[in-house]
Amino acid sequence: MTSARRVAVTGLGLVNPFGGDLPDFFGRMLRGESAIRLYTREDDVLRPLSVPAVRCANFDAEAALGRSLAYTMDRYSQLGTAAALSAWRDAGLPRTQEAPRNDWGVSWGTALGGTLTFESGYIEMLRGRERVPPLSVVLGMSNAAASHISIQLGLGASSATYSVACASSAVAIGEALPKIRSGEATLMVVGGSEAPLSYGVVRAWEAMRILALGDEASSVRACRPFSSDRQGLVLGEGAGAMILEDWDHAVRRGARIYAEFAGCGSTSDHDHLVRPNVDGQTRAMRMAIRDGGMTPDEIDYINAHGTATREGDPIEIAAIRGVFGSRSPAVAVSATKSMHAHMLGATGVVEAIITVLSLASQEAPPTAHLDDLDGECAGVRHITGGSLRGSLRAALSNSFAFGGSNTVLAFRAAH
Amino acid sequence: MNSAMKKDNLTVLSEFLHKRENIDPARVTPEASLEELKVDSLLLLELLFEFEDRLGVKMPQDIPRPKTVGDLLGIVDKVTAGNGV
Repeated sequence: MTSARRVAVTGLGLVNPFGGDLPDFFGRMLRGESAIRLYTREDDVLRPLSVPAVRCANFDAEAALGRSLAYTMDRYSQLGTAAALSAWRDAGLPRTQEAPRNDWGVSWGTALGGTLTFESGYIEMLRGRERVPPLSVVLGMSNAAASHISIQLGLGASSATYSVACASSAVAIGEALPKIRSGEATLMVVGGSEAPLSYGVVRAWEAMRILALGDEASSVRACRPFSSDRQGLVLGEGAGAMILEDWDHAVRRGARIYAEFAGCGSTSDHDHLVRPNVDGQTRAMRMAIRDGGMTPDEIDYINAHGTATREGDPIEIAAIRGVFGSRSPAVAVSATKSMHAHMLGATGVVEAIITVLSLASQEAPPTAHLDDLDGECAGVRHITGGSLRGSLRAALSNSFAFGGSNTVLAFRAAH
Repeated sequence: MNSAMKKDNLTVLSEFLHKRENIDPARVTPEASLEELKVDSLLLLELLFEFEDRLGVKMPQDIPRPKTVGDLLGIVDKVTAGNGV
């Protein structure tokens, strides 16, 4: 590993529910501002939905992508491609294709792909139509977002999509690491996107009895990770993208380096489809720290998976305590899903972006609405009330998926 | 009847291309090349779907690939008239 190339994070892009730019989003995270609102949907065929959720209501696909491109995409691809173009601009990369970029690629994550496209096909058929629109296949396919990104940016290396439930984009980011380290790729556009607010998907999560409830007034506080009165997760749509780049390549072109992507650990609980496992999570965190050439003592912040389920939150805290031992009370932890909700396949990258920005600004966001800590979740330095300023040397971003797939990303401050 | 239909279909086509690809309707003439109007295989599928919807017909699976606007409108006319392709 001594000869492996280092990996720089040089660009960040989001489509987020607040509708503003990256600094606006991160500022709201630091202030503990929730984007969760009551989401309602109804039409003439299906019974109406009404749940707390996060929606990117201000996202204008035609403005972001042009009408022609927007029409050939499901919403999850629109969100994803817009985020990737935004990260590309943020990295100071030109759209012109002067030289072939056959060693630049894309690594993307989505849990559900084009669910909305297939659902609208079903709704048309329920209305009595025999056929569905002719682009349904290319809109709905799970690698559509990655393909559009590859086409728009002229990326000739691998274009792969990972579907690992709630860890999808974390896995996509992790899978890009060895490609750059080994020299197979010089630059990778990584991230994920999700548009899960279809009837079928929302009803499916409701049926698992782990969706937080809320009305017009209470939805903003519906997701309360680590809180003694937490009541479950909140679904959200969104997208995030990062530009990962060979460190020396980034330095040569004078790119701004937000942080170093130092390591990744992936494990499987091999235990249960939905019950998380302390050992699997512990091993993933240890692996990420070791892979990054670090020791647990260097980790100053963890962006937790923290979904606000009764069962999941204490298990994650137990795993963190297992990794950090007597130092656990000094390790700062926050669960930002309390504000941006659970974006399923996109959530890993959105949280990775928050983690990277925390290292770059030396300021980490709180867990919102954490007024009454559950004793079962105690033992770490929960960030509550407001942001934490201080020396942040390195940080982890945890993603633990249904199915028992765990991925932890380790980042190190660039300076 | 036939020429009136043709004019209507040309309008449908030019309106669709204007809406989707912002193509100047003046460019959509029977002689115009579909390729030059940015009608690729996916957009052609959408156009056929649009005509099927508006005219209440079903395009056969094995229609020849039209090269010009006139070719496409000819196919639509034949199917509408029940003559096959």
